[in-house]
Amino acid sequence: MVAPRRARRRLRRFGNWELTLGLTILGLMIVSGLLAPWISPYPPNQIDILHSLQAPSFTHIMGTDFVGRDVFSRVLYGLRIDIFVVAVITYAGLVIGVVVGTVAGYFGGWLDAIIGRVADTVVSFPFIVLVLAVVAIVGPGLKGVAIGIVFVGWALYSRLSRSEMLAMREQPFMLATRALGYSNARAIFRHALPNLIRSSLVYSTVDVVVNMLVLAGMSYLGLGQQAPGADLGSIIASGQSYLLTAWWITTIPGAVLVLFGIGVSMIGDGITQGDLSMATM
Amino acid sequence: MSDALLRIENLRVTFHHGGRTAVAVHGASLDVNAGEVVGLVGESGSGKSLTCRSVIRMLPAEGAMSANRIVFDGQDVLAMDRRALRAHRARSVGMIFQDPYSCLDPTKRVGEQIAETLRVNARMDHAAAKSQALALLEDVGITSPDRRYLSYPHELSGGMRQRVMIAIAVACKPKLLIADEATTALDVTTQAQILSLIQRLRRESGMAVLMVSHDFGVIAQVCDRVAVMYGGYVVEFGPVQDICTRPQHPYTRALLDSIPSLESAGRRVRRAGIPGQPPSLGEVTSGCPFVERCAYATDPCRTMEMVMLEAGPGHTSACPVTVGTRS
Repeated sequence: MVAPRRARRRLRRFGNWELTLGLTILGLMIVSGLLAPWISPYPPNQIDILHSLQAPSFTHIMGTDFVGRDVFSRVLYGLRIDIFVVAVITYAGLVIGVVVGTVAGYFGGWLDAIIGRVADTVVSFPFIVLVLAVVAIVGPGLKGVAIGIVFVGWALYSRLSRSEMLAMREQPFMLATRALGYSNARAIFRHALPNLIRSSLVYSTVDVVVNMLVLAGMSYLGLGQQAPGADLGSIIASGQSYLLTAWWITTIPGAVLVLFGIGVSMIGDGITQGDLSMATM
Repeated sequence: MSDALLRIENLRVTFHHGGRTAVAVHGASLDVNAGEVVGLVGESGSGKSLTCRSVIRMLPAEGAMSANRIVFDGQDVLAMDRRALRAHRARSVGMIFQDPYSCLDPTKRVGEQIAETLRVNARMDHAAAKSQALALLEDVGITSPDRRYLSYPHELSGGMRQRVMIAIAVACKPKLLIADEATTALDVTTQAQILSLIQRLRRESGMAVLMVSHDFGVIAQVCDRVAVMYGGYVVEFGPVQDICTRPQHPYTRALLDSIPSLESAGRRVRRAGIPGQPPSLGEVTSGCPFVERCAYATDPCRTMEMVMLEAGPGHTSACPVTVGTRS
């Protein structure tokens, strides 16, 4: 009991600094993405050949790319679209997975077997390969990548929720919902779901980072955001040939991507820590 | 006695697991009259809880039940379809479980859980359900119901949670309240309070109570009649007074003998326990389940059929030796 008490004391002294810092980083990114049209100094696709490949300066704080587009403006617009897409696909996957997994765990039997095997099949493929396959069917572009990621992403939430549901099904309060003659829908969505969704929410903070990287990776491969649209992956790809002469085009969006990952992970850690201190209170 | 509120005849509950069949309840018969408190005593694994749960046909997933009849308030419980069964669970029977610590949804305020029952099962609107829930909280003896309405289960003590459970169970004015070891997890003082609460609610509403316990003291205190279960059979059934003063079945006798009395307090008296272990599931296939531990056992006991024999007015026992039909 020494460690939790020490953790709690530390928590009191510093507040939950990980959570605070993570929320600050992510909050700044979301706000700047949302405000991109107003705060970006140049239109993201404005070409200015005369000032191409300029190093970061006061006029172009992140420099310009090979056709003179302002990297800072493109990063802002890239963040805007990336954060939006990642949020939608991650939580679409979460909602689908949690509902499907909870229902499977609650009813069991053949329904559970079918859903379980489908989820196993999806999970057993390498993530990127399956997304690539979906993109091949739907066609390149953010839409294809988004569909692909949701197609894969629900499976882990489904497994997670199913196993939580299996344990919860035998809980007396779930038996009580049956003894009271409540409908299955009420038992699942009103009583089981609020109790088991927390683990999925915590996992989603990891998933957001993974999805962000896959999205950027797809764009980097030219399968996601199509030129001239800006997203972090496509900006990184566009600067690749100039890495030795104009490092900023690739490095700065890359750093932004890393910072995003760190921010979200800190939020995840912060939530878990908060959980711990609440549990021992 | 055909006007009994609940009548269970020859209930059998079996579990199938991995190709093997274990019999948990062999043939339990029981009846509860309107407004009556019937106790169900027996040790762990004797089939008490399963018998209770069969009243609302809610067995664990691997369990299967059959019975000659289960009639509740003129309705055949075994023949109910899904809808009728849900209505039966929702409005006719209220159930309280053993563990007050995990019977309430941890993410919902307790008042809302009571109100939910009223909205769903009694079709009340939000406002009516809330005021009724507050009244119920007050009725089960929770002080400052306005504040407690907003509490989460983890903020309440075990006794308070059990009161909330009772409020939920009686919210829709059931005709029968099943209390499955409702006081076992509570300390003795709280236990007494909960018991008197159940008795008061019964007096006020006229509902019947089926009270499960392994504590004869609790049963003797509140019940009109008592059924003693052993090894999946009801071995003795009758008025509580009668059973306490002249128990017929050897198991009941041994059970009563093992309760310390006030007269023996302070003296070094070794209580007569019951030698041996209760039979495990599926072990006994024929004969009396108590035969291995019984002081009266004779050879025919190993193969006899378990039939309830008249042992007095309204008092039946499954032991032919002590009842005197076989010497």
